Amino acid sequence: MDAFFASVEEREHPEYKKKCLIVAQDPRKHNHHGVVTTANYNARKYGAHSAMPAQQAVELIPKEKLVISPPNFELYRKVSDQIHDIFGEVTDNYQTVALDEAYLDVTHNKLNETNTIKIANYIQQRIVKETSLTCSVGISYNKFLAKMASDYRKPFGRTIILGKYAKEFLKPIPIEKFNGIGKAMQHKLHEMDIYTGADLQKMDQDAILEKFGKMGYVIYKRVHGIDDSPVEGHRARTSIGRERTYNRNLVTTEQINQELIYLAEMVSQDLRKKRQHGKTVVLKLRNSEFETITKRMSFQDYVQTKEEIYRVAKDIYDKLKVTDQKIRLLGITVTNLDPLSYEEVSLNLSYKGDNYE
Amino acid sequence: MKFSIDRSKFINQTSNVQRAISTKTTIPILTGMKLDLSESGLTITGSNSDISITAFISKEDSDNDLKIESTGSIVLPARFFNEIIKKLPGDNFELEVLNNNQTLIKSGVSEFTINGLDAVNYPHLPDVETDNQLVLPTDVFKEVVNQTVIAVSTQESRPVLTGVNFLITSEGLTAVATDSHRLSQRKINITSDEDYNLIIPGKSLTELVRTISDSVKEISMSISENQVLFSFDNIMFYSRLLDGRYPETDRLIPDESNTRLTFDSSKLLASVERASLLSHESRNNVIKLEIKAVDKKATLYGNSPEVGTVEEVLDFDNLEGDDLEISFNPDYLKDALRSFGSNASIEMSFTSPLHPFTLRPVENRDNFVQLITPVRTF
Repeated sequence: MDAFFASVEEREHPEYKKKCLIVAQDPRKHNHHGVVTTANYNARKYGAHSAMPAQQAVELIPKEKLVISPPNFELYRKVSDQIHDIFGEVTDNYQTVALDEAYLDVTHNKLNETNTIKIANYIQQRIVKETSLTCSVGISYNKFLAKMASDYRKPFGRTIILGKYAKEFLKPIPIEKFNGIGKAMQHKLHEMDIYTGADLQKMDQDAILEKFGKMGYVIYKRVHGIDDSPVEGHRARTSIGRERTYNRNLVTTEQINQELIYLAEMVSQDLRKKRQHGKTVVLKLRNSEFETITKRMSFQDYVQTKEEIYRVAKDIYDKLKVTDQKIRLLGITVTNLDPLSYEEVSLNLSYKGDNYE
Repeated sequence: MKFSIDRSKFINQTSNVQRAISTKTTIPILTGMKLDLSESGLTITGSNSDISITAFISKEDSDNDLKIESTGSIVLPARFFNEIIKKLPGDNFELEVLNNNQTLIKSGVSEFTINGLDAVNYPHLPDVETDNQLVLPTDVFKEVVNQTVIAVSTQESRPVLTGVNFLITSEGLTAVATDSHRLSQRKINITSDEDYNLIIPGKSLTELVRTISDSVKEISMSISENQVLFSFDNIMFYSRLLDGRYPETDRLIPDESNTRLTFDSSKLLASVERASLLSHESRNNVIKLEIKAVDKKATLYGNSPEVGTVEEVLDFDNLEGDDLEISFNPDYLKDALRSFGSNASIEMSFTSPLHPFTLRPVENRDNFVQLITPVRTF
């Protein structure tokens, strides 16, 4: 996705479009702390970029143009789910990287389309239509080159690297842009007078291997257009959970029960959506001293309903015998998951007039 | 404390008391067996914190050959003590508590000295008033327990469900157990002056029915705030009651049905056992029953992706109502069918594929019902 968080904020607040937007906790309100998660393209013109201290970005951008928006991860996750659904319509074999990046293996695809450019086009159009956001697509014969291609023209770009042009394509690329070359390796390469793909391509395999070990070998292969890593289709999820941090500590048992009921309901909804059920419930809590406790309980039978999840979470909570009840964070996770191919119907064992024991 | 006693009579009683003694206990003295000798006889006690059992051996009964020299109390390590008594050479043995709780056991040519514990430190037995006793015929009581205890939950996630709910009113006694996937309810006619609503742990009931020998005709039940006491013969069996409210189960038992099948319990059990051979091999332990009313045909299907499939056309006595396809856990049906005894005529009633179905004996439809929830397949 192009400047993902920033683009989502621009969509929600069209007035930000002409401004220099950085998505970060406002350093002016947070004692100069905060890191830029994303900067829009206007802000990038002034040198702001993601992972930069927000304070530095504030100093770079003229005051009258600057807008700082705190990140709204819940919204980004929602948009991310929408995008993943579109990928899922193209192929089941897609590997997500963070919220806004993914590799799709379209060798076989549900559109029965052999023209990859048409597939890229389809994905871009669908995403624009459903989210009003743009993305850039790279097409090639392996993951590394596809990623390099996707970064080549942004925003809303489409780049294809054919096999015969791969080495040529990589020649002018500065090593900083190589996927897999981190800060430390960059530094060492610069010391060796290596600045571009072309410089790297001239290096001897043994020399690069000796200097950088296994990762060196990977880079050597990549710069010659070779990358054998498969697209790892979405791995089966191992857990589904929710947690919340409270600005004001929870102190009464009533508040805690209420939150546990809420979390149990959210988790059971997520389980249902993902068609999963699990045998283990994990309760996480953090007190005002920032001590974090997680405790789990496993069962022979699957747990899925909100009532069951709540009951177990409450049971774990009671067993923890929290003495100083000042709770900053509560979380419930269900793990030991299995796909829900069948489900034992449960009797509604409640009492008149209440849903929970 | 000093006495001698007939060894086999003594062993008969310790084997009952032994049921309550666990080697895994957080209270060390409870790994011991308590002996209390009074002028009238010997009381043996065993306990884990959930159940306690006492057996009384009377001096009056000459078969016991109990000769009392001096009264007193001692707690002896149950495991060693029982093994020793079982292996002693003589028909009788003599037991004497020496200094520092050291206990001398003599029989024939053999002599043991074992270290006991001061009986003062043994927890007191619960206080249960025995003024208001319910007297129940043993065979009926055992039947009630055996028919309901199969449905108790083994999961601690909801403790009340690990017990059987006994509801006693002037109209009779209703026993219910459910683990939320199946439910068993049995009613009997008894008279009681007082109403009771108690939840007895399933494990206690299982131990209790094992303790009651066939010669016992009647047992008495006394109920207090958090304990129940069963007394029969010379035995007193105490159990902790489960705390909390039992869910309302009456409304869960459907009174209407769309499809009904009448079977011989033993025949159906055999069919289900065959079908479950394969379902047990599968991750999902599920079998499917298909009823085609027009063709008068009921078929059971089981499968395991790894092993294969099974299909069996059922032999029933009567079939009426709508077509139906329903999947369920065969183990629940097996447990339920066994609880009816062999060759009982039972009626299975279904409403829909996703609603619980019931099994009732044709002979006694109103007093006994087993309910099983189906499995939803995707």
